[in-house]
Formats: sequence, structure tokens, C-alpha cells
Amino acid sequence: MIDARIIILLAVLLGGAGVWQMLPRGAARGRATGAVLAAASLGLFASQLPGWSDWVAGALFYVLAGVTLASAACTISFRSPVYAAIWFGMSLLGTAGLFLTQGAQFLAVATVVVYAGAILVTFLFVLMLAEPTGRAHYDRVSWEALVSASCGAAFVGVLTATLLGVVTVQGDYPGFRGEAREDRTVPFGPPGRLVRPGNLPGQTQQGQVLADEHVKALGDALFGRHLIAVQVAGVLLLAALVGAAVIVGRSRGPLVGPPAGPPHGALGTLPDHQGPGGDGHA
Amino acid sequence: MPDHDAAMLVHYLVVGAMLFGLGATGFLARRNIIVMFLCAEMMLQGVSLSLVAWSRYHDDFGGQLLVLFIIAVAACEAAIALALVLMLFRRRGSLDIVLWQDLREADQPPAVDRELPESPPEPAPEWPRLAPAGRQPEVPREETEYRPHV
Repeated sequence: MIDARIIILLAVLLGGAGVWQMLPRGAARGRATGAVLAAASLGLFASQLPGWSDWVAGALFYVLAGVTLASAACTISFRSPVYAAIWFGMSLLGTAGLFLTQGAQFLAVATVVVYAGAILVTFLFVLMLAEPTGRAHYDRVSWEALVSASCGAAFVGVLTATLLGVVTVQGDYPGFRGEAREDRTVPFGPPGRLVRPGNLPGQTQQGQVLADEHVKALGDALFGRHLIAVQVAGVLLLAALVGAAVIVGRSRGPLVGPPAGPPHGALGTLPDHQGPGGDGHA
Repeated sequence: MPDHDAAMLVHYLVVGAMLFGLGATGFLARRNIIVMFLCAEMMLQGVSLSLVAWSRYHDDFGGQLLVLFIIAVAACEAAIALALVLMLFRRRGSLDIVLWQDLREADQPPAVDRELPESPPEPAPEWPRLAPAGRQPEVPREETEYRPHV
């Protein structure tokens, strides 16, 4: 039996090499090779994870996780930014499915609506302004593809090794189970049905996250205990809205920039933007 | 069943870490400003997935509520980033991040692009040829000006 650390190290190396091959690197084409390497890496990682007691839940998880991670890899490896954005939307859908399997129904819907429905579509609009075909020079090369992939792989490797080390001690990590937190007094909001923050893994009180009235319980927690945070988030959204309007509306240049940017190296001169302005866009 | 719960938690945490790692890799490597932004959002997704898994594990809504606030902050970030990207694109006429490298440290050498071998041109698309029927419609002149190709 090979040591688990060796397998994790091998998986990290394979994954890093796969991502490095998949990143756009000029004329070199290694996406198929990189995909094979990354898939092998995922298989090695999966072989080290603990098993599922319910095979249906396990299969569902593996399908959703595979879709999410493969779409994420496609996002960073496709040259055309439009394709990258669409693959990012696919990754968001996979993430929403994973949320759903973890009992976060509201968050799954909110992710799809806010991310895929608003943010992604907005950025597709912006992409339409630029060169959407992936033929641009800067879409076909990467910064230091090997170093970037190594950084990402090292990060994943450190976290995964730490996690699997935690699991081998059966969740009895010190300082976590022993200290039972008190039911804290809630400074704001009405008392009553509030989520107790003290549900530790060994305790028997179950069924808050997985309750039938999920949205009701989530709303109780959100607008009871975290009411001030909701207000602050609203102010933040308003400030962002005003700030975006100010940033974009300040200059009245043409909406689409000059067709050809300044050549690389001639960075000191800004292109003149005194074109036929004042056409009323904001 | 704490053991089963812990096993499930580990699966989701590993996927969250991989999403974060892929996003970080893309953020470091890609040069398109918008793709860099998408990679930053992908890192947020990884963190959100971990938080939701912890929330399920502890049977506590704290993680899910934090993800809600992450979504709100991400919406703000998207609005500001969209405005900034539009401004940057107006200034330099390109989404290439290297055009803004004069913001680097004073003693750093500038990044110089290596000359790429020109990629082979893609073959022209094969449009289906329809049998001509009727007379050719007249295309308005102003329409041909803003629609250079199909």
C-alpha cells in the first residue's frame, strides 16, 4: 500500500502539469494532454477521499464536482473570453448543484440568479465591446504559465494534505469539541427562534439546516441576528451603484476605444479621445 | 453520524480548494482583464462552497449567511469592476493587462512580449449555399455600414 502522502504529491504534480498544459501558451497546443493529466490527478485525489455510505449521494457529488471542476479548467484555458465566460457559467451551475446537495436551497437559486443571471451576462456585454474571438495576442499567451500552475497546485496540495490529516484523527481535533459555546445573547433583533451558534458536531440537535422550512429559518437568522449586517450590505450596494455610475459617466468619450491599441512598449502616450463625443451614452 | 458527516465535509472542502486553486492559477496566468475578473469570482465560489459545507457540518446557518453576504459583495464588485473595465478599455483600447504595466514598481523591468509564431489562419467558414430564388433584396445602405459581416 502506497503512502497517502505519496499519492497526494503525485496527484498535485499531475494536476499542476495538466493545468500548465491547458493554459494558453502561444502556438503550443496541449489541451488534450492537459485534460488527461488533470483527470488522472482528480482520480488520484478521489481515491484518497473517504467513501460514501450512500452511493447515490456519492455519485451525485462526483458528477456535480466533475462538472464544476472541468468547467473551471475550461474557463481558465479557453482563449476566447466569451467561451471562458460561458464555461464559467457552467461552473456556476455545478456549484449551485453542490450547494443544493448541502441543503442550501436558497443559496443555490441565488447563485444562479445573481451570478449567472446578472454578473455573467453583464460581462458578456462588455466582452462584446472588445475582441470576442480569442484572436487577440493577449488571449493566446499567459503570464508564466508554469509558475502560475505550480502556485495553484501547491495551494491545493497543502490544503488537501491538511484536510486528509484531519480526517485520520476521526474529527477529534483538540480545542474544537471540548469547549461548548454558550448560547450567546443576541444584541439586535427580536428574541425567539434564532439559530443557536453552539451546535457542535457531536451534539444531537439536528435538522436546522435541513429543516423543511428552510427559507423561513434562513430568513429568521438573517433578519434577526444579522439585521445590522443586512442594512450595511444594502448601503454597500447603493454605494457601489453610485460609484459605478460616477466612474463610467465621468468621461464622455466614445464607447468603443480606438481600434488598435498602442504598440507594446509605447506606453507613455495615451491615445487621444477627443472623438465625436457627446452622443449621450452614460 | 459524525463520521459520515466529516467524510462528506472533506469532499466538499477538497472541491472548494480546487476551485480556489484553479481561480488563482487563472488570475495569475491570464492577461485578459475580464477573464481575470472571472477567475477572481471563481475563487469566491470556492470559498462559498467551503462555507456551505461547514454550515451543513455544524448544522448552523452562519456559513450560509456569510455566503449570502459574499454574493452581495460580489454584486458590488461586479458593478465597480464593470465600470473600471469600461474606463480602462476606453483609455487603451484593449483589454490587455500588460498595457497598464506602468503601474508596476519603479525598479521592475518591463514585461516584453516574446514574438509568437503566427498561428495558422483559421479556414474560412463554409456557409451553406442556397439556391437563388426570387430577386435579391435591397439592403439599406446604412445597414451595411454598421454590419460589416454576418
